[in-house]
Amino acid sequence: MRRTLMGTLLLATGLALSGPRASAQPKPAGQAAPAKPGSQTEVTVDVRQGKLGLGLPKPLLATGAGLDADGVNSNFTEVLRRDLEDAGPFALLKDKLPATVEASTVKPWLDAGAEWVLSMKVAKTGEVVTVTLQVLDVKATAQGEGKQLRYAFSKNYSGNTSLLRRIAHTMADDLVDRLTGDRGIANTRIVFVRQMAPGIKELFQVDRDGANPIELTRYGSLTLSPTVAADGRLAYVTYKGGSPEIWGQKKPGIPHERLYPNSSAGAQGSCYAPVWSPDGKRLAFTQSDRRGNSDIVVLDVQTGRVRKLTDGGFINTEPSWNPAGTQIAFTSDREGGPQVYLMEEDGSNVRRLTVEGSYNASPAWSPNGAMIAYVSRFEGKFDLFVFKLGEGKAYQVTTGVASSESPAWSPDERRLVFSSNRGGSMQIWTTDLSGNTVKRLTEFNFCQSAKWTRSR
Amino acid sequence: MRSVRNLFILGSSLGLITVLGCKKPEPTPEPPPATITKSEPPPAEVKTPTVDTTKPVDMSAAKYAEFQKAASAALKDINFDFDRSDIRDADKPKLQAIASFMKSFGSARIMIEGHCDERGTVEYNLALGDRRAFAAQNYLSGLGVNRDRMGTISYGKEKPKAMGQNEESFFINRRGEFKLQN
Repeated sequence: MRRTLMGTLLLATGLALSGPRASAQPKPAGQAAPAKPGSQTEVTVDVRQGKLGLGLPKPLLATGAGLDADGVNSNFTEVLRRDLEDAGPFALLKDKLPATVEASTVKPWLDAGAEWVLSMKVAKTGEVVTVTLQVLDVKATAQGEGKQLRYAFSKNYSGNTSLLRRIAHTMADDLVDRLTGDRGIANTRIVFVRQMAPGIKELFQVDRDGANPIELTRYGSLTLSPTVAADGRLAYVTYKGGSPEIWGQKKPGIPHERLYPNSSAGAQGSCYAPVWSPDGKRLAFTQSDRRGNSDIVVLDVQTGRVRKLTDGGFINTEPSWNPAGTQIAFTSDREGGPQVYLMEEDGSNVRRLTVEGSYNASPAWSPNGAMIAYVSRFEGKFDLFVFKLGEGKAYQVTTGVASSESPAWSPDERRLVFSSNRGGSMQIWTTDLSGNTVKRLTEFNFCQSAKWTRSR
Repeated sequence: MRSVRNLFILGSSLGLITVLGCKKPEPTPEPPPATITKSEPPPAEVKTPTVDTTKPVDMSAAKYAEFQKAASAALKDINFDFDRSDIRDADKPKLQAIASFMKSFGSARIMIEGHCDERGTVEYNLALGDRRAFAAQNYLSGLGVNRDRMGTISYGKEKPKAMGQNEESFFINRRGEFKLQN
């Protein structure tokens, strides 16, 4: 999936995406524990591209607690390893490593290039498992001549044994946070639409690593376009009543109910593309009129009142809020083909965002507000682009392998989740913003319309 | 359940001349519009069709078969160009046939489905499907079929008919479908 030279050249015409935003850059490896200049403890930063050398020996299991070593390995240690490899700022050490973390192995860890080594003990009481984490600061310990182990970070994690994977994810995020100051995304989930049979689609979710698939709806109907509120509430479109309606949750954890059409509004057409406002109180969505046009409306979920933001006899759809909830990006064909526009939350001050290309759609405002991802038809294929608002320029992310659609941001703003048929059938994939690290998430029959969330 | 309803409604349309005679005539045909790009006044509220429910009449199997045959002969898909909702000249005879069917069977109700090919976004295609369904409804209305007898719904690109990833399949999938409702 590596970009070809031609792809790179195309990008070079003003479309090259720089690395992740500066504040999210991992701190240089030396910063976690500064080495003495010229000392032999200096690690080969150039080889690791600024990543921190991390040792991950197998955790020590408490004896007599009924812990299943294979289960801990597959549901915890390997999960953690993959999370840390995917996270970005760590270089996991692999060869000729000590098996333990103690005074006598500090030197071997140091020689292996480790800056941090995870010392973990797993215990179990009844069905509750506890993982005690101590992160050995190798350099600091070595500088103290190894007599007293020094730790960069320590924390205990506990939960039901069924939550081992989640403990690993949380630990990985804590380590990324500790190193970079930004929370990782190991403990996140992706909600998406899965086709069960022709014309029948349901909502599912999986963990970020593709594990733990959960069925969220079972309507035996066409169910589309999930959106996840900051508190985890779902909303979506379902045809289960015959025509497309907005269903979802007014409070976390309660059964799903019809949110729109409702009794307090007037004439109500088909509804599409719901998206929760950042404060979770409002839903922006698309409503068709009986003339075949579509407008963006905002529903106050508690009062049931709706306000129409666009009007003019065109297609207006795919609303996406900015993080402050004060503006909405959307797609409209008011000037011919679909283009991305911005407007204030009251519908005023409409201005066009995308200028190049004849088909630009599906805007997704980034969590920090500085970027808008969207889909553009480019050389006959649909690809993901990112518009940087500060620069007023668009950058291409995916390149022409197949169609890429429905971008949504990772909570840390470093990746996009999207649907693509690049592997044959339509599946959910993720990519970094350079388009170089593309990973497949699902292997079901047909999947689409993914959203990425911390809150479920 | 469904077939009983079919028989009953058809019975009321074919058998009860007096009832039909009392019904409001179809409105005068408007000229079929081209494309819908401008905002129009809000449409009249859609009412459920007034069908006489007091005198169910047995429909013979032969008449029911005739109705079904006429429906399947008339209710053929129409197609659209990419990202367009204009009625193509080639499809106008098909819409004429549908209008004739709707006039011959005065209680027939149809749902017009707007569909799209797989290119483009899920949501934009749902909106485009609505526009296509409405374009067909509007054309039929212009041919004298009461809008109240024609519902519209969009399935966007969610229910493709042909699975190929080529223009031939795309053309089949960019369609309006006409489904009998009774």
